[in-house]
Amino acid sequence: MIQLSYLDYSAMEGKSRLHRLSATSKVIGMMLVLLFIVTMRNLPGLVLLYLVLLALFFGSRVPLKIFSLTFYPLIFAIFFIFISGFKIFFILLVFLKVLCGSTGVVLLLATTPYPAIFSILGRFLPSLFVTALFLTYRSIFILLSVFEETQDALYLRGGIQWMHPWRSLTNISNAFGHLIIRGIDASEKMYEGMILRGFKNKIHYRGE
Amino acid sequence: MSHIHLPDGVLPIWLWVSGYIVAILVGVILLRVAKKEDSTRRLPLLGMMAAAMVLGASVEIIPIAYHINLTIISGILLGPSLIFLATFVVNVILALFGHGGITVIGLNTLVLSIEGVVGYFLFRLLWRMMKRLTPAVFLATFLSLFASTLAMIGVVSLGTSHYEELIHSEKKGFLGFEFGKEEHGHSEEASPEKAVNLNRFIAIVLPLSFIGWVLEGVINSLIARYIYRLRPDLLRLERNAL
Repeated sequence: MIQLSYLDYSAMEGKSRLHRLSATSKVIGMMLVLLFIVTMRNLPGLVLLYLVLLALFFGSRVPLKIFSLTFYPLIFAIFFIFISGFKIFFILLVFLKVLCGSTGVVLLLATTPYPAIFSILGRFLPSLFVTALFLTYRSIFILLSVFEETQDALYLRGGIQWMHPWRSLTNISNAFGHLIIRGIDASEKMYEGMILRGFKNKIHYRGE
Repeated sequence: MSHIHLPDGVLPIWLWVSGYIVAILVGVILLRVAKKEDSTRRLPLLGMMAAAMVLGASVEIIPIAYHINLTIISGILLGPSLIFLATFVVNVILALFGHGGITVIGLNTLVLSIEGVVGYFLFRLLWRMMKRLTPAVFLATFLSLFASTLAMIGVVSLGTSHYEELIHSEKKGFLGFEFGKEEHGHSEEASPEKAVNLNRFIAIVLPLSFIGWVLEGVINSLIARYIYRLRPDLLRLERNAL
């Protein structure tokens, strides 16, 4: 999640062809990738799709640091191989579907500014939902900045030590509690600011 | 592990489409029940709690493949209708980071919101019975996570026949489409042996999840204590709860 700022930076400042493409076409492209993933039951086809996505990823000069995000869902996919009785075909199929899906969405987010994606969602979803989506995304950045401060406080109080699990748990919980309270304070200020600027239950976008 | 970290294309289409339909119906009903003014006023809190849930989900405890959800503490702070919207938002954002498929957003919302809604009501009930914050939050968290993990296992088990099909689709066509009922005309030898073993999956998920439930129960209790000390108004409880 710390890579979020990189994602945002890449989406805003990137100059590749994929970055310049309209958000609508990229979302449609992602839907096609999704359709492929849902219907494909063939390993060479999925390998081909993954290679295409990798070529697009590296061709778009997205920061390499972000690439590690695409492997994160594999941690949980490992559970699923126990269902299959370790059938190699099924394991590869699931892993490739995971990698294609995560590479596709991370590529979309790294090449498209999030307000543009949310504005597309706003065409189909109720405004309350889109506003909640926007506020959540904004709040992640607020929490991340509070988190940086909290990290120092956490280390000063002993941080996380495996030899002292109870103290570590207390420290982690206090850190989360602190994050939540500071975050709520910040969100209340943000809401008051939004009301002062004329917020009436809907966020308007300038367009792509 | 209490929600479905499945990629797209693993669950059968009917299952995830039904997940979306039910999630939308439940969402519409819950949001109508919630007072509109109250929902708008509490949107920033919803955004912040959803953001905390997203951050919690990114802190992975790798040895047990578990991450804390913070859904129960969010449910306690937000109430049953807003926690549903919060879990929907969290799942959309997590799916955009590749953490769970886009097609399973509906099902994940249902499973995660079970955690939040059950957690909220259990906490209120246990609070009324015990009048002690820490055990009430711990038990509410533990039991809600148990319920949502059972729901997740239920959802995964609904797709059993589809996993069988996937496992044995090795020799099928490029896209492996099957529109009719499979291989009616084929002899017995063509029908593949059962390869899906849900018991093995359950035997691995439940013990690891148990560690996660206890861990999250402790963390949620300590977070609730911390919030109670500094902002008791957020929990909407009487004084002297500790």
